[in-house]
Amino acid sequence: MTNTALLKRATTLGLGASLLAMTSAFAGDLNVWAWDPNFNGAAMNKAAEIYKADHPEFNLTFNAFSREEVEQKLQTQLASGTIDGLPDIVLIEDYSAQKFLLSFPGAFEPLTNAFDYTQFADYKVALATVGSETYSVPFDSGVTGWFYRSDILGEAGYSAADLENITWDRFIEIAKDVAAKTGKPMLSLDINDPGMFVILLQSTGHWFFDENGELDIVGNEAFKAALADYTEILQAKEIYKPVSGWAEYTGAFTGGDVAAALTGVWITGTIKAADMPGQWAVAPIPRVDGVEGATNASNLGGSSWYLLTSSQNKDEAKAFFNDVWASNIDFYQDILVGQGAVGSLLASREGAAYQSNDDYFGGQAVWQDFSNWLGQIPGVDYGIFTYEVRSAIATQLPALADGADLDEAIEKIEAEARVLTQ
Amino acid sequence: MTNRSLLSFVQYGVLSVAAFLSVFPFFWMVVGATNTSADIIKGKATFGSNLWTNIVNLNAQVDLPRVLFNSFYIAIISTILTLVVASAAGYGFEIFRSKARERLFGGLLLMLSIPFAALMVPLFIMFANAGLINTYSAIIAPSVANIFVIFYFRQATKAFPHELRDAAKIDGLKEYQIFARVYFPVMRSTYAAATIIVFMLNWNNYLWPLIVLQTNEMKTMVLTISSLASAYTPDFGVVMVATILTTLPTLIIFFLLQRLFVQGMLGSVK
Repeated sequence: MTNTALLKRATTLGLGASLLAMTSAFAGDLNVWAWDPNFNGAAMNKAAEIYKADHPEFNLTFNAFSREEVEQKLQTQLASGTIDGLPDIVLIEDYSAQKFLLSFPGAFEPLTNAFDYTQFADYKVALATVGSETYSVPFDSGVTGWFYRSDILGEAGYSAADLENITWDRFIEIAKDVAAKTGKPMLSLDINDPGMFVILLQSTGHWFFDENGELDIVGNEAFKAALADYTEILQAKEIYKPVSGWAEYTGAFTGGDVAAALTGVWITGTIKAADMPGQWAVAPIPRVDGVEGATNASNLGGSSWYLLTSSQNKDEAKAFFNDVWASNIDFYQDILVGQGAVGSLLASREGAAYQSNDDYFGGQAVWQDFSNWLGQIPGVDYGIFTYEVRSAIATQLPALADGADLDEAIEKIEAEARVLTQ
Repeated sequence: MTNRSLLSFVQYGVLSVAAFLSVFPFFWMVVGATNTSADIIKGKATFGSNLWTNIVNLNAQVDLPRVLFNSFYIAIISTILTLVVASAAGYGFEIFRSKARERLFGGLLLMLSIPFAALMVPLFIMFANAGLINTYSAIIAPSVANIFVIFYFRQATKAFPHELRDAAKIDGLKEYQIFARVYFPVMRSTYAAATIIVFMLNWNNYLWPLIVLQTNEMKTMVLTISSLASAYTPDFGVVMVATILTTLPTLIIFFLLQRLFVQGMLGSVK
């Protein structure tokens, strides 16, 4: 081939490719950024399908990135001040909601007047509210449960009733007993991930910050009580299997090495993928003793949809959210069955899927249980720096497991958090 | 055992351990692609029978031809442009003398120390103003003037005999002709080595494409793997198949150009 012919070919290829690139984003299409196409993507596409039945011109495109990627893209783009290429709708994890809402005022569309927020779980609304405006369309809840192997705990002599309404001290007693009788540790635990401590803390109704957004760690009695309970777990080495990373964490209970997982309801899909029908059950999480207002319900993770002010299709998006996400109870049954997604619309618990018994969990009405716990989760203000404080906590956990002084560790956490949040 | 055979025993022992450590991740990836996600988590290190299912699942979740095309298009075009620009710059910096030359070159090298994260937002604003967000050009353009590759070509050019250029001049060749007909053939192995390096850089480029590509149909393989692996319940078998597909092109290019690559690393001109 001569050089000229080669050049011509290259040019043609280049032009062809640029044409392909231009097919994205027509006006009237809603562009969505979120993570996990099989969970968030499937739920969003299902909602779009329902809405499309009455609005044939409606179109929605789901673009999948990882959670960290969505945050990074959004942050870079909002910081650059250009709206070119921003999506219409974006999914933000609840822990990061305040960070985005406060760092980029005006970037997200207030929806206070677009919805009746009283229909959603209180804590989901609180975390997306700044001043008098609420910005989110509350989506999946991270309501927590104690997923346990009913066969293993049964073998050790424990029934479902023995696990209800207990404290963490009792939990540790039971776990030690189960480990002694069956040889199975209760949990898998990644000491670098403070997720489980965060569950304990939110169940007390307190967080890392006071009403003014200032650090509230040293002198926060609920924080100390939760950390004391968690330290006791870390020190009872026979009741957990130390793991590193998410794959090992889930592998431990799907592979049958440990007897339970104490985490958010979104883990249901992973537990069902282990294919052990009838061997699992769910109990409420234990309670932190000695803190007023502490409950047997908490939250881990969860996320909500946000509409960007720059969207050209705001009215359409609002109509779509109102029609499906804020009112369609059948839709919530579909995504519960299909994706195991527990939404935050309280009325959805009246639907058939939420009422049903789940054979995988030995015929337990797990979804009724989860929606009851959902209503009891204490609302807390996640503030701007949740992840920074989490990393400060993670640094101290190994020392606590080895018997470090609790008050000293709390002081160190506050000192490090102060540096990280400056 | 004699001292000599003891020595070679130790040598082979150490080499075997090193070889195992470097080959194992690759082996694990290939084995993983044939297993189910559950088996991978359990640490099963033998071949399974799930390869085809994993391929089918990957293909169902991702528009593979499109994503592969994106990756190849971006990597190939960037590589060609980078080689043209960087080799011309390296040639120029070494052949032509001027007072400002070393200062300019020093300035370029200094720019290498600026982390990309610091350039990201201004770069994004530039490309947004040019209307190039979510296009191939947005990925290709910033990668073309690669300072490291310019530096590499300049170093290699130091060994290029000036007599060749003088002789070509006497024969009446113009500068661009010297570059194309004398310099390029002589520096073949330098180009080969640079091809591997630049192709890999562009093929594996993550951060900037992540920021500037906004839709599924523009995504590259690397971005696709990252979103597959971040699901609440990742299918590791599918992730492994995608990882193999992403590793193969760089591997093939490396094997094709291996001989020249080694020469290029040692210096083109002997």
